[in-house]
Amino acid sequence: MGTYFIWSTAIALEAILLFRGTQTRLLRKYPFFYIYIGCVLATEIVSLFSYRFASDSYSSLYWPSEFVTIVASYTVLVEIFRCSTRHKPGIRRLAQNILLAVFALTVAYAFSDLAQSGFRSATRAIADLGRYLRYVEAGVLLVMLWLLARYRIPLGRNLLGLISGYSFWLACNAVNLAFLFRPSNELSIVARGLLPALYLLALIIWCASLWSAQPEPAHAAQNRMERDYDLLATNTNTILARSSHQIFRLFRP
Amino acid sequence: MSPLFPIIVLGLLILILCFRLVRQSANTAKQPVTADEFEKARGDLDAIFVETAAIQRVFSAEDAEFISHTGSVELQHLFLKERKAIAMRWLRKTQKQVAVLMGLHLRLAGYTRESKPAFELKLALKYVLFSILSNLVLLLLWLRGPFRTSRVITYMVRFAGSFCTIFSLRLATVAAVQFQKSSESTT
Repeated sequence: MGTYFIWSTAIALEAILLFRGTQTRLLRKYPFFYIYIGCVLATEIVSLFSYRFASDSYSSLYWPSEFVTIVASYTVLVEIFRCSTRHKPGIRRLAQNILLAVFALTVAYAFSDLAQSGFRSATRAIADLGRYLRYVEAGVLLVMLWLLARYRIPLGRNLLGLISGYSFWLACNAVNLAFLFRPSNELSIVARGLLPALYLLALIIWCASLWSAQPEPAHAAQNRMERDYDLLATNTNTILARSSHQIFRLFRP
Repeated sequence: MSPLFPIIVLGLLILILCFRLVRQSANTAKQPVTADEFEKARGDLDAIFVETAAIQRVFSAEDAEFISHTGSVELQHLFLKERKAIAMRWLRKTQKQVAVLMGLHLRLAGYTRESKPAFELKLALKYVLFSILSNLVLLLLWLRGPFRTSRVITYMVRFAGSFCTIFSLRLATVAAVQFQKSSESTT
């Protein structure tokens, strides 16, 4: 009963999100995010029907559908990156390079680990790949959040809500997946039981923050700021270099 | 170490950073660099610039010698205690001002079209290095007192001077009208 309640509530919330997205035209503003929500909604409806009417096929459908939603969730990452750096081309380039490097490194690590563990079955391989993709996603998100916080990039209420819900869900999901693949751990059952409720919480965050379109923060005087930045960057660097050098000299024997 | 540990740390870091981002964004009025803020930074730096001249006298060995020849042991202790407190306060203030400059730098960097990843990384590393070293100097001051670390003080004085000069020169080239007034920044 509880399973059906959570399941149907999640489907209802996702449908509400999509409906409000079209009403407020946020769907045009954040298309990738709504593609992800649409994808999750579709897989959940299919899973619910298979669970209800063809329970034998549910277990074989679970990991492929989970894999599809994990891949689709990468579009949210792209959406956050696209929207937060829209008015900051310099940071966009910087973030792009860092994120690509992090992505390449974590993918390489995940695939080497996957290759080492060996191929047991198609379902297991899909599950493992999905798990590693989630870890990679979490790693990339961490770097992105760090960049957003470090450069104090102003975010609108809608985007902030989108990021909050996504971060919360991704963090919980990554930790849950780690527990899931360690069934011997005592917390594994608790984590699995909690996950649907946490997903509902993420959906509530998204519904609340994307209920209406909020204005974006102002981006004024950019060109003047650019010229100013170059001068400031050079000066800051000179000051730090000199002071560090001087302090270094103090500790020389 | 359990393989779960890095993933749990990763999840926790994401939640912490997300919370920080929410808190930071809640204070949207402070996001753009305002003329008032810039003026305040200039004022604070000018104050340090003025202090720099005085600070060299405060840590002069002549004063310490004078006190050791004429004063009692109690007076010497009091003198050392006071000078140590001044040195530490001054160093902390300098650290704070560098942090303010870095803060301004990062906020302006958000607006640039020409940020250089390698340069940004180097700058971040240098700032971390500076923070570590200046804290080490603080520790040294606390352990050995201001007169046994006079070389440190001299370097820090020089640093503060160059810092003020460079930043003042920079401020002189920036017209205040380039920045928004605090009251306009929220629009």
